Amino acid sequence: MVGIHHAYGTTKVLNNISLTVPAGELVCLLGPSGCGKTTLLRIAAGLEQLQAGSVTIDETVIAEGAAQLPPEERRIGFMFQDYALFPHLSVLDNVIFGLFRQDRRTARARAMEMLDQVGMVQHAEKYPHMLSGGQQQRVALARALAPEPRLVLLDEPFSDLDTNMRARIRQQTLTVLKQNNVATLMVTHDPKEAMFMADRIKVLGDQGRILQSGRPADIYYKPTDEYVARLFGPMNMIDGVVEQGGLKSSFGTLALEDPTVVEGAAVRVLIRPEGIILSKGDDDGGAPVEILSAHLLGDSSIVRFKVRSGINSGSEFHLRMPGAFDLTEIGQIWARVDPRHAFQYPQNQ
Amino acid sequence: MVEITRSFEIEVEMIDNDHRRLVEIINEITQAIDDDRPEECARLVPDFVTFSKQHFAREEALLEKNGYPQVDKHRKHHASLDDKMKTMEALALNVVDSPAARDALRKELVFFMMDDVINEDMDFKSFLVQATSKGNETTDG
Repeated sequence: MVGIHHAYGTTKVLNNISLTVPAGELVCLLGPSGCGKTTLLRIAAGLEQLQAGSVTIDETVIAEGAAQLPPEERRIGFMFQDYALFPHLSVLDNVIFGLFRQDRRTARARAMEMLDQVGMVQHAEKYPHMLSGGQQQRVALARALAPEPRLVLLDEPFSDLDTNMRARIRQQTLTVLKQNNVATLMVTHDPKEAMFMADRIKVLGDQGRILQSGRPADIYYKPTDEYVARLFGPMNMIDGVVEQGGLKSSFGTLALEDPTVVEGAAVRVLIRPEGIILSKGDDDGGAPVEILSAHLLGDSSIVRFKVRSGINSGSEFHLRMPGAFDLTEIGQIWARVDPRHAFQYPQNQ
Repeated sequence: MVEITRSFEIEVEMIDNDHRRLVEIINEITQAIDDDRPEECARLVPDFVTFSKQHFAREEALLEKNGYPQVDKHRKHHASLDDKMKTMEALALNVVDSPAARDALRKELVFFMMDDVINEDMDFKSFLVQATSKGNETTDG
């Protein structure tokens, strides 16, 4: 997709979007509700009239200006958020539905092959209402892949599943997509889902602009602006001015990576909760802290604390640590910052 | 196989020629991977990185000469690709022994070319096409 612009009336929803999805790769559009990501999928599928830009699959331009191939001729598989299975058709007939160009016997064989791939062949004669959410999702995936599309579009494909089911189904979905070597464009508002599924992530912000594009590790460890950094949850924040190339804090001088930041500039450092580490000694430097609360979440804990001394004395922070925090054994505790989880931005961003 | 179809042309000869050369090298690398010639693949990656850097310099000079207002932003974008090029070079050192490294390298190259190079260049396409059509184009960098 190249140079896609789209607006509803005067409201811009997509602003100069260009992206490529190679065969066998999964590109994820990550952004909040209403940022235009589903509109982009609908444009690719031909369900929304293209207003500007072009869409090419393999070497065929399928939409550019007024020339737009109808959806059924694009060879694109679309999996909707609610799966959109036909309630009056069996599982098998739902999958066969997209194979209307093939004779019944060939279509049936292909549908059974796809149901086998997604582990649903034993449910072929059932109807959608007889299936769990996860099973319906797998049927929808089989239906999307059965016609051997050149591109598969996934719109929030796991959002209706409970936590345990979601983890299992997304692994299965990824495996099946990779087995079929199909190019996949997925949209989600869930950053962890995007991190798990995607080869590349594109973060969409206000008015449908791509704010950052990169590997999952780039998005997490090198967020280009505050908005992207905050996608993964609440951050700790320290504001200050640059002195001798760094920002002085109770945790020591936080080094600033951007060489263009000048002395005296107002900067903000955001620190991920997992980027603050507690210790019982101050050998590693850091700030003495007072623990305010600890909440066990299962595999990790959120600990709130207050800094006891230095520039940020009295300020509250929070951290995430593996396992439980033992409130019965605490003496003097120090906190330090892991620089890999601290990001610096201009304060006026 | 990567190919620059018409939609991905910037319509400025010097830039499109460079992009085609980069794609040629990528295709040589991926062909070497497919043909199980990892040594050839490892040899070609530094060529790709060197040519990429030369291309970035040429492109920045062209944008500068034509007064592209966001040249600094684009220069910064090029600088941000250093890490990715280092990753490619590191993967190239492992491709002989590691199929996983070959797969990762293929992925890096394709996304680098299509996303980080060509798609980002789309931002200045209309400006540069207009500027160069007025006879301002210089490609002497």
